[in-house]
Amino acid sequence: MKNMAPNITDSLALARNRVEPGAKVRMISRAENLGKWSLRLGLFLYCIFPLYWMVVSSIKTPPELLAYPPTFVPHDLSFGGYNKLFNETNFWTYFINSVIISGIATVIVVILGAIAAYGLTRYQYRGRETIAKFLLLAYMFPPIVLIVPLFIFASSLGLTNSRVGVALSYISFSLPYAIWILRAFFQSLPVELEQAAWIDGATRRQGLFYIVIPLALPGIIATSIFTFIVAWNDFLFASVLIATDPLKTLPVGINDFFHMAVVDWRLIMAAGVMITIPAVIFFVAVQQYLVEGWGAGGVKG
Amino acid sequence: MPTNFFQPFRTKIDRPRQQVTGVLMLLPSAALALSFIIFPVFYNVWLGFYEKHSLMPTSSMVGFKNYLFLLKDARFWNSFYLATYYTIASTVLQIVLGIAAALILHAKFPGRDFLRGIALFPYMVPTIIAIFVWRWLMNDMYGVIPYILYVLHIPGMPDAWLSRNTIMYVLIFLSVWTFFPFVCVNVLARLQTIPPELFEAARVDGASAIQQFIHVTLPQLRTVLLIVVLLRGIWMFTKFEVPWLLGFGAGAGEGVRTMPVYTYQWAFTFYQAGMGAALSNIMFGLLLAGVTIYFIVFPRGEEE
Repeated sequence: MKNMAPNITDSLALARNRVEPGAKVRMISRAENLGKWSLRLGLFLYCIFPLYWMVVSSIKTPPELLAYPPTFVPHDLSFGGYNKLFNETNFWTYFINSVIISGIATVIVVILGAIAAYGLTRYQYRGRETIAKFLLLAYMFPPIVLIVPLFIFASSLGLTNSRVGVALSYISFSLPYAIWILRAFFQSLPVELEQAAWIDGATRRQGLFYIVIPLALPGIIATSIFTFIVAWNDFLFASVLIATDPLKTLPVGINDFFHMAVVDWRLIMAAGVMITIPAVIFFVAVQQYLVEGWGAGGVKG
Repeated sequence: MPTNFFQPFRTKIDRPRQQVTGVLMLLPSAALALSFIIFPVFYNVWLGFYEKHSLMPTSSMVGFKNYLFLLKDARFWNSFYLATYYTIASTVLQIVLGIAAALILHAKFPGRDFLRGIALFPYMVPTIIAIFVWRWLMNDMYGVIPYILYVLHIPGMPDAWLSRNTIMYVLIFLSVWTFFPFVCVNVLARLQTIPPELFEAARVDGASAIQQFIHVTLPQLRTVLLIVVLLRGIWMFTKFEVPWLLGFGAGAGEGVRTMPVYTYQWAFTFYQAGMGAALSNIMFGLLLAGVTIYFIVFPRGEEE
């Protein structure tokens, strides 16, 4: 036994010498790589699994939907949920209402926001900085704190149960943030570009339309996406301000599916797919602009 | 310098008539903000002193009666407790997960841009859909997540997640899922601007990955985290749709009847607008107090 000890140390030393330099590092980095890729995979699954489950649940047959244990890949496909959604509910009415209200709100926010941001960045007057601070404050303002007075105020103006009232609330609550982003974009454009155009005889309005807006297009697109998504996803304003079924937007209309006598999960998941798809397509199509806009000032939610 | 060359045009900006144009351009937006944001703030203070049916034009002045009622109302205090609990738990988890995801997405690897896109998905899903999907995932009888937890033999899991005592965990879980991308995007944007030399220097000094994170990354993220925590805190405290659509403030939903839900119930379920207004005034006051304390505890650094 006493003789063994030096032998072990010797063989360890030998083994250590026999291993080429760098091999140990490679071993560690392989383990590290495995760790990193499992983290990446984990993040991927965390983000995507609920959505995968929504899509899968919407196309399962009713018995398979409620099967135990649940099936992760559906054996049979069935589009009964979508059929019911399109033919037995007011889905398309809600959908069109949502498109109209969100679309109008977006267009108006972008126009008013661009004008205000241009005024804030290209004209110098006292109080500009105070206004900019107020924009940020208004951006943080949670709608729930104001929904009660807003509802009473809107009903005294006759704006309840109308698309105008809902659109006006979206416009008012999105504008501060829109102006904030657009202001950041306009500030990043050198005034000299416009001045060069003025020398060539362009008016201010032409400068705005032919120089500033085209160059700030990423900001304008980012602003419109944010506004559209805020309006498209909103539940609070629409649920408070709209009472009758033909005027309901998607989130409020879909909410009623949940209060049916029997909750039809396939129908709800199908509706989920139909609402999420436009947002996702829209989002993927303009992702590069979105990242720039995001850098300019964060998002609300 | 070209700037000097164009000086005459710069002075053109400052002429009084031009100033008026600049102010005029702000006018439509200001009018909307005035009538839909600023006016309601003051109108609400007034409403809080009245007893008013939400749908009827009549109202009567009651002084501080609404507030006195709420002070003695156990449900009010419970809603305050639940909102605070929800805010702290969900904000902390969002921040931790958001930073972790940002670190994962900051490293270079094949498919990074794809994963960055995927990581934004939860934020883009309409709230109502996120809630219904999670209700389905956690369903007491058919939910896939309870099933997975059962298969993995994880001990201490409740029989029914959406019951009154455990629904708060579902609320926190789904809120973290929905809102962590906000933290992730803002942190990622900041990470990309940290000069690599800082990490190089730390590595030369023999700092481990964890030491680098604590001594280089976190101090660099300080400013952005201060803002993100504040925004997330405000928005989680006043988050209405998520707890409302998860429980509708009744039955098991009483387990997630936070202050915004309770406010909504007073104004639009019981139709007591005055009480709803009083509640939102309290919420507003709490927010102001919270933000003030936040800025006293974390004074804004000079780097901002």
